[in-house]
Amino acid sequence: MTPVLVVQDLARRYGAVKAVDGISFEIAAGEVFGLLGPNGAGKTTTLESILGLVRPDAGRIEIEGDADPARARARIGAVLQATGLPDKITPREALTVFGAFYPAPLGAQMLLERFGLAEKADAAFDTLSGGQKQRLALALAFAGNPRLLLLDEPTTGLDPQMRRDVQDHIAAIRDEGRAVLLATHDMAEAERLCDRIAVIAKGRIIATGAPRELIAASGAATLEDMILQQTARA
Amino acid sequence: MSALAALTALSLKLNFRNRMAILYGYLFPLIFLIAFWALYRNDPVPLALHIGQLLTITVLGGACFGLPTTIVAERERGVWRRYRLLPARSWVFLTSVLAARLVLLVTAGLLQLVLGFALGLPWPAHAGALAVGFLFTAFAFMGVGLTIAMRVDNVPAVQALGQCIFLPMLILGGVAVQLESLPLWVQHMSVIFPGRYAVEVLQRSFTGTGLGGSGFDLLALALIGLAGAIAAAGMFRWDRSFAPNKAWLAVAFGMWLIVGAAAELRGQVTVSGLADTQPVGTPHDYAPEAKPSAADWHAVTEADFDTITFDRLPPDQGIVAPVSRSDAVPDPTILPLLDQIRDGLPNWAPGNVSDPVQRARNLLAVAAVPDILEMEQVERFVPRLVFARLQAVIPPQDLPKILYWIAMHPDAGDDGGIHQLGALGLPDVSGATKPVHGRIMIYAFKLLGRLTGKIPPL
Repeated sequence: MTPVLVVQDLARRYGAVKAVDGISFEIAAGEVFGLLGPNGAGKTTTLESILGLVRPDAGRIEIEGDADPARARARIGAVLQATGLPDKITPREALTVFGAFYPAPLGAQMLLERFGLAEKADAAFDTLSGGQKQRLALALAFAGNPRLLLLDEPTTGLDPQMRRDVQDHIAAIRDEGRAVLLATHDMAEAERLCDRIAVIAKGRIIATGAPRELIAASGAATLEDMILQQTARA
Repeated sequence: MSALAALTALSLKLNFRNRMAILYGYLFPLIFLIAFWALYRNDPVPLALHIGQLLTITVLGGACFGLPTTIVAERERGVWRRYRLLPARSWVFLTSVLAARLVLLVTAGLLQLVLGFALGLPWPAHAGALAVGFLFTAFAFMGVGLTIAMRVDNVPAVQALGQCIFLPMLILGGVAVQLESLPLWVQHMSVIFPGRYAVEVLQRSFTGTGLGGSGFDLLALALIGLAGAIAAAGMFRWDRSFAPNKAWLAVAFGMWLIVGAAAELRGQVTVSGLADTQPVGTPHDYAPEAKPSAADWHAVTEADFDTITFDRLPPDQGIVAPVSRSDAVPDPTILPLLDQIRDGLPNWAPGNVSDPVQRARNLLAVAAVPDILEMEQVERFVPRLVFARLQAVIPPQDLPKILYWIAMHPDAGDDGGIHQLGALGLPDVSGATKPVHGRIMIYAFKLLGRLTGKIPPL
């Protein structure tokens, strides 16, 4: 079966700094793949390279076998950090307009209901709670009915209830056969959601596998301990 | 609906939900209009001589402040970073922003015109030319606005850089202060500002010859807009964390200097004082020896004509009450209007009223109003059409007496003709008519001088 995402020997340098240095991994349909590592490890550069926002210096990226970044973007939904929406836009308007960019968009009403935003469908963005805004970000990532979701720390800054709510949505996305690439600092989230993870340090993958297997193999008590061990060695 | 159309419609909707955008986009232009109306309330035609300035200020505010403020505020909030994730090229997003802004500028301009009409502003002499001039003006200033948007990092910086451009353009660029009121050295400086070309092309469309003679102004606006667009494309960034290459600013603002230099080489940079503000005096200034008023025009005699000092009249080739030479050829651009006036005069009701004095007054108003409005070449050629018509509809033995009577009683009669010029393709006058009476007096003297042989029939 063709993987949804193939990343092979990806490299990107900013001046003298190697932000990403030969990263390779694949993600299958129905799989959540986690990217874990300290700040500056290269997670965001990897995501932005897959999205075509950053041009890699080397390496190959394929989405369902297609290496053209412009075509690939229509099959990807993404939630990145530090993105926003106009204050006065409503969730319904945002979903409708974003959907207009895709060849086969999902309906705005369906997305509103799926992500629990139906009651806030016509409320201004600046009146939504943090959790509602993040659910809207997920819904927008879904607008084009993507095969691959790229999520960069989607639960950062949310309270525990809202975090659990967003995580439930990510699990549901996985369960319907889509591939998810999740960059996160939240170890509990990674353990709960990720089928496999890759630990990145200094632009390189230093460990990859299922969370429990990695913990067991390292002899660490927790995923967090394992990652601290691995990154200290890198 | 296409993505571009959907995004454009959304931009418009969001604009109308923003109180500050409404305030700056619509209310301020109306406040400017009312301020100009109050300031120039004694003009014979309300606002007509300042509409180029008003529309330019509207476009300037919307394009150089509103546009970059919107773009920079959205970029600061990460909206453009989010847009970047969508499967579309950057031009789609920029085009939607520009299309929405153009709609806002056009509606603001129309709103300003509608209120102007309510205050007595006449219909533009060349509505199509006005629309073309407005689009060129919008293009030029949106190019400037885009340059600002791509260069600065935050909204306060938009205000700062915008003011650096806005204020000099208002004061030194012939936008808020008419060029005629500025010292010559400032008039030379004004050639680098796009506002000067915008005011000229819009004003000429409203009260002048339309796009005839506006070729350089339109070219200047197009070049400045194009240079701004190119510079903005070179500095385009989705995210403020990317630093733009400031060298592109030289492309945008270097074009201002190139256009200015071209204007200087072309000449015609400085302009003289406003004709319409120049008082023409009273009948006594031209006929100091005139006897006390006769009972009516029938009592006027040839002896009365001798009391007139025709040498004191403004020269035909001057600015006040000009008359073209008989062998002068009108610019082709004004021929349609001259034809309309010539063909319209026989059926123009005020030119056929039974009272011959009022009939003559009305016909003389057809020459007087274009003069007041400084309708460029039109004002020189219309008097000849009027003179011909007067000679056709008033018996030759009566015409000199009637002209003398009108010249000596410029404020008598009614203003019916002045208010019905629209039927001839000229602006209707709805404000104070005193200055028009003055020009009627001068033209009455001038035709009388020709009829009596005191003025050579050139």
